[in-house]
Amino acid sequence: MPRIGAFVCWCGTNIAGTVDIEQVVQAVSEMSGIVYVKDYQYMCSEVGQNLVKTAIKEWQLERVIIASCSPRMHENTFRKAAKAAGLNPYLVEVANIREHCSWVHKNKEEATKKAIALIRAAVAKASLNTELIAKEIDVENRALVIGGGIAGIQTALDIAEAGYQVDVIEKSPSIGGKMAQIDKTFPTLDCSACILTPKMVDVASHPNINLYTYSEIESVNGFVGNFEVTIKQKARSVNLEKCTGCGICTEKCPSRKSKSEFDEGLRTRGAIYTPFPQAVPNVPVIDREHCLKFNTGKCGICEKLCPAGAIEFGQEDVLVTKKYGAVVVATGFDIIDLDKFGEYQYQNHPDVLTSLEFERLTNAAGPTAGKFIRPSNNKRPEKVVFIQCVGSRDVSSRGKSYCSKICCMYTAKQAMLIKDKYPDIEVYVFYIDVRTPGKNFDEFQRRAVEEYGVNYIKGMVGKIFPAGDKLIVHGVDSFTGDTLKIEADMVVLAAAAQAKPDAEVLGRKLAISTDTNNFFTEAHPKLRPVETHSAGIYLAGACQGPKDIPETVAQAGAAAAKVIGLLSKRKLVSNPCVSVVNEDLCNGCLSCLKICPYDAIAAKELATNNHGITSKRIVAKVNEALCQGCGGCTVACRPGAIDLKGFTNKQITAEVDALCH
Amino acid sequence: MDKTTVRMQQIALQTLANGEVDVILGWKKGDEWYDSYPVVINDINETAELIWDAFCVNNLSKYLITELKKNLRIGVFLKGCDSLAFNQLVIDNRIDSERVVIFGLPCPGMIDPQKVKHAGLNKGLLKVERTGDKIVFITKEGVKEYIGRSFDYDKCLNCRCPNPVVSKYMLSDAVTRTDEEQYFPDVTEIEKMPLEARYDYWTKQFSKCIKCYACRNICPLCSCETCVFDNIAAGVSSKADADCEQQFFHIIRAYHVAGRCVDCGECSRVCPVGIPLEKLNRKIIKDINQLYGDYTADTDIAKSPPLGTYKVDDFDPFDGSKQGGKK
Repeated sequence: MPRIGAFVCWCGTNIAGTVDIEQVVQAVSEMSGIVYVKDYQYMCSEVGQNLVKTAIKEWQLERVIIASCSPRMHENTFRKAAKAAGLNPYLVEVANIREHCSWVHKNKEEATKKAIALIRAAVAKASLNTELIAKEIDVENRALVIGGGIAGIQTALDIAEAGYQVDVIEKSPSIGGKMAQIDKTFPTLDCSACILTPKMVDVASHPNINLYTYSEIESVNGFVGNFEVTIKQKARSVNLEKCTGCGICTEKCPSRKSKSEFDEGLRTRGAIYTPFPQAVPNVPVIDREHCLKFNTGKCGICEKLCPAGAIEFGQEDVLVTKKYGAVVVATGFDIIDLDKFGEYQYQNHPDVLTSLEFERLTNAAGPTAGKFIRPSNNKRPEKVVFIQCVGSRDVSSRGKSYCSKICCMYTAKQAMLIKDKYPDIEVYVFYIDVRTPGKNFDEFQRRAVEEYGVNYIKGMVGKIFPAGDKLIVHGVDSFTGDTLKIEADMVVLAAAAQAKPDAEVLGRKLAISTDTNNFFTEAHPKLRPVETHSAGIYLAGACQGPKDIPETVAQAGAAAAKVIGLLSKRKLVSNPCVSVVNEDLCNGCLSCLKICPYDAIAAKELATNNHGITSKRIVAKVNEALCQGCGGCTVACRPGAIDLKGFTNKQITAEVDALCH
Repeated sequence: MDKTTVRMQQIALQTLANGEVDVILGWKKGDEWYDSYPVVINDINETAELIWDAFCVNNLSKYLITELKKNLRIGVFLKGCDSLAFNQLVIDNRIDSERVVIFGLPCPGMIDPQKVKHAGLNKGLLKVERTGDKIVFITKEGVKEYIGRSFDYDKCLNCRCPNPVVSKYMLSDAVTRTDEEQYFPDVTEIEKMPLEARYDYWTKQFSKCIKCYACRNICPLCSCETCVFDNIAAGVSSKADADCEQQFFHIIRAYHVAGRCVDCGECSRVCPVGIPLEKLNRKIIKDINQLYGDYTADTDIAKSPPLGTYKVDDFDPFDGSKQGGKK
């Protein structure tokens, strides 16, 4: 039996409030193998760590049990402390008596019993721990940013400025994202294009940045420092190098039926098109679904007119595989579909708009050149009603339970912009609550009410009835209880923000998790807000949850800082808790290979000698560099031929036995 | 002599003589009417002793694992159920199908000697012959004829695959099952029991176990180099005569063959204490079919086994929006 020392942390009152520390110390001191027990208020503090280090030396401890918070939190802290005291760090075992015990129980007597049981399990496991030696792995000095909106742009620029290569992959034909569609930005009312487009140009011209537009992630393999990503470059049908962006093709294209995605469908575009004049790269793309050449074989006008000979109908999708040390996910958000909100008549009436359509309508570069008119009759509206929380804070199945966070501010902005240009237009805003907790945000919203006279009505709209050329908005003012009937000319819906529809699929490719709303999950909501649970993969922007531009840019910078920190290391320490195959027991069924999410297992042919007859058989072989220690293989293996170092079947069984004791 | 037996002996002779195979795996007749046992022959003179009758119940595919280690080419006789096991062994990389020549035997069902004895027909019985559903009992006193399947093993009555799914030479015409088989009636019966009764039922059944491991040894898919139950270092189970140990053994075994079990029913057939082990396996097969779509293990080796593969749209009991879990 090795000499085991146990260290019980109070975590202030986090643990000590619910677990009787004295009783735990007493019980632990009686466990077999325990030669030393110590409790302390904050074991993770310098004083606490020194207690561990001193005891390892003075008591010749061969195993260390830390009864404290989750190993996710401080396992590394105590491994380092053990190493400093000369003990192999993998001989440290954490008993989680906080998240798994004190935080989830109220009854002190029961929680104390459970804490003792959890420590007993840790002691049983630790007795079977063996010294493990971590290896070093190389780091590929290049980062991948997925998404070319403001989050991806900022992340890429920050990483590139630090001197590292960055590839940016963008699904649509141009970078820019949602921010490029927006007219003005709150709370300062800068023109969105004026602050974004220079950054887009910087991305395109930066020597360290390589752009993959109109491209998607096909597959992701590998691990931190060594990701291997296959990128699908969709056929653009226009040669990126040859095209000069003269725009003749987009002007002359006879197909005019497609709706412009960039203009939210408020105008049409050709089958060969550049999403917007400031697009980066300023190279058009052929929408093959609507192109006459692709559908009928006739036409080809663009090819004939192109002075640069850049049109290439024969282009095919190209797969590019590259290695990256780190990945930043910055895929952004969408607004919800309004099919299920029939009461607002969005599907039926052209003058009922989403907030994003409104942005295009008031944008100087938009479909009306900034002229504020009703889509139905091209006349200026006299009364405009804004409805907030369309699908936000909505617990019914058609909506989203969360607050979309940005709508209060952009609605105030949009209302203010109308009043600023056309003081005679009456503007109403229906809201549940006004939430403006950002720097200078509340002042901004108050200006809309106090200076510009926007009518804020606390209450929801029940239904909108089109009547003649008017939209009759039926709502309730919940302060007075009055039912209201407003004869509006235009209604703007602040539709909820939601995760991208393919977020879950991308998450699966990257092995990162999504929450119940399909937003990507950060590793820790407070202390690791830009990291994911997969080492080397970081998050930036609204793909993690609704965010405004200032927050997105801040997070992008933070993600970039993490990437720079990672790429600046020449070597990474690998996790020694990897799988190992006992070839004598292995049948070669390769169930492990089939379920391994990291492609870390391969088949190996083995020559065996059976009474003088040599025959071949197949066994599994683990690539330690690829193995991430998930342990999936160990449960798929029937004869128990594959085991996970640091979490062997025997150690797990010993823990279970100890818990059932 | 039975037509199929003649064909069997011919093909064995032919393939051994022309060098297509080095050895033949088949059955020979023993001393008793019910005794047809597996043999390995490499001598063309022994081919005349090969037999096909209603007692060739042993599955020969499992013998391939050992025999193939001798680097030989083997000819093997396989019934429908045996051929499913053969496919699974190929999937599991336990045998090299390139070195195997399969002689397919469509099977009308095997006769359970216990049923013959219970019917009192075993006295002075010399031989039993079966053609389709006609069974002829030849005794010292004379000949008795029966029509029907009342002497079949229970497992054969529930057979879903009487014809080999893979073979090079088919030795007789395919068997057609006219009776509409009911899937998993035995499982449904147990599922209807209240939870406690179910627990009691299995506790009682497992308590009979003497850990002779006959079920494991006969199972064509329990083919590990070293069974986890024989590996003391694994610490999974001991030989202790305790209820929990026996339960561990059977439940772990059921999970080890889950998604691979071909429902041949051999485990129950050989159990000396009569534990209805096939019901455990059949419950898992039924659940797999329900949760992952209809999957008959090993009719097609190209098909991915549902428990060994991950698909994005797999049934997920942890996702509250889909079925499963406590309601």
